[in-house]
Amino acid sequence: MSKVKPIIQIENVVVSVTLNQSLDLMSVVKALPDTVEYEPEQFPGLIFRLKKPKTATLIFNSGRMVCTGAKSEDLAIKAVKRVIRELKRSGIVLIGKPEIKIQNIVASANMGGRIDLEKAVFTLGRTMYEPEQFPGLIYRMDDPKVVILLFASGKLVCTGAKKEEEVKQAVYKLQKKLEEEDLITYE
Amino acid sequence: MSSVAKCPECGNRNLIKDYDSGEIICSNCGYVLDDKLPDSGPEWRAFDDEQRNKRSRVGAPTTYTIHDKGLSTTIDWRRFSYTLKKMDQTKALQIYNLRKWQRRIRLSDSSERNLAFALTELSKISMSLNTPKHVLETASLIYRKALKKRLIRGRSIQGIVAASIYMACRLCGLARTLDEISKVTMMNKREIARSYRFIVKELSEFIPPVDPIVYISRFSNQLGIQGRTEEIACEIVKKAIELKLTCGRGPTGVAAAALYLASILTGNRRTQREVAEVANVTEVTVRNRYSDILKNLDIIIWV
Repeated sequence: MSKVKPIIQIENVVVSVTLNQSLDLMSVVKALPDTVEYEPEQFPGLIFRLKKPKTATLIFNSGRMVCTGAKSEDLAIKAVKRVIRELKRSGIVLIGKPEIKIQNIVASANMGGRIDLEKAVFTLGRTMYEPEQFPGLIYRMDDPKVVILLFASGKLVCTGAKKEEEVKQAVYKLQKKLEEEDLITYE
Repeated sequence: MSSVAKCPECGNRNLIKDYDSGEIICSNCGYVLDDKLPDSGPEWRAFDDEQRNKRSRVGAPTTYTIHDKGLSTTIDWRRFSYTLKKMDQTKALQIYNLRKWQRRIRLSDSSERNLAFALTELSKISMSLNTPKHVLETASLIYRKALKKRLIRGRSIQGIVAASIYMACRLCGLARTLDEISKVTMMNKREIARSYRFIVKELSEFIPPVDPIVYISRFSNQLGIQGRTEEIACEIVKKAIELKLTCGRGPTGVAAAALYLASILTGNRRTQREVAEVANVTEVTVRNRYSDILKNLDIIIWV
């Protein structure tokens, strides 16, 4: 194990919820006029913003919801439960248990050293590095299946993970590989 | 033959084919292995283009730049039969009609028509970019591959065409920036970049990153900079790459800064503005790259 531990921070968790029933969005608006935004002309979904945890939930009349903006898995699920509770309290009938599924986790991390991107292109495999278009190197990892944007400063963005654990796995795996191939220099 | 055979006298593998005397000669000891080389050229002679067209019995080599690879059948308009006898009126009319229909049904279905359209578009762009022929061939091949993998569905033909040209330039090591391609195709740079990334990803092609050095000779040409300055600029870029100053930096900006620095070092200074304009980057970029290089390269400049 290396001396430098990467600092990982989860930035966003996207959760989808299926209620298995259709919803009448107009009645939701009538029941909760102050908390929701609904403009069917602009966007077919209803937007439900929570202050705590700070998230935005999109509710569609097909009975599907998408919750974005949470900073962790637990917070995301908490937010969804709170939205459902609010809906029920305001008199919307919801039957059955909602299916909650985490769709995407975005995390940022700092590896703590400078990375030689030009060499990394040749050794990592499944990469794309176009400094003319984007200063970061795009690395598609197969297991766990995530996409990592790697920058010369040693910071990175990891997207596409379905679990918090996968983010950690991916970052540590990448660190190991970078050290093996001598692509990272710690100051 | 010369690649397999070796000289029976000295065992040398480097044999020379002399087509004038029809001999195969060992380059080491001068031993003549064969003195009756068959001539592989045509048996006819031609003194100008017209004669060559008349005498040659073969067509042009196959090419990816034409939708049927240049293997189409065309019916001649001249009123001669295969024995070079003049045709009579009815026969000539019949052939005229055949020729007309042959031309019409050459593009049999819509997909072929699309391909033909895209390939002419490719040729046009490559013409205005002044790329050599092999780049156009490569670009056409990339476009065909993309078509075969159904990557063009739901995307604009123009976008994919521009992206294939850019990709071909990169594969052939030609210095063409996205800006130039977007200028001649009159397309958004972002859109070309997006299509480019998409086809590179889907075709899982490996494309090495651009070396800033390829831009140096281009920019110095446009600036009218001497060869010596150009050389020094190349050295600076090499050094900068070694010191990992170029990671995550645009190659054009690095090249511009190196040229700027080299122009100062050799005493025929160009302004940052001039250099930046040629490289199509901002002056700020040139300044930042320049100070990066200065800090790390131990160059002292007296102003």
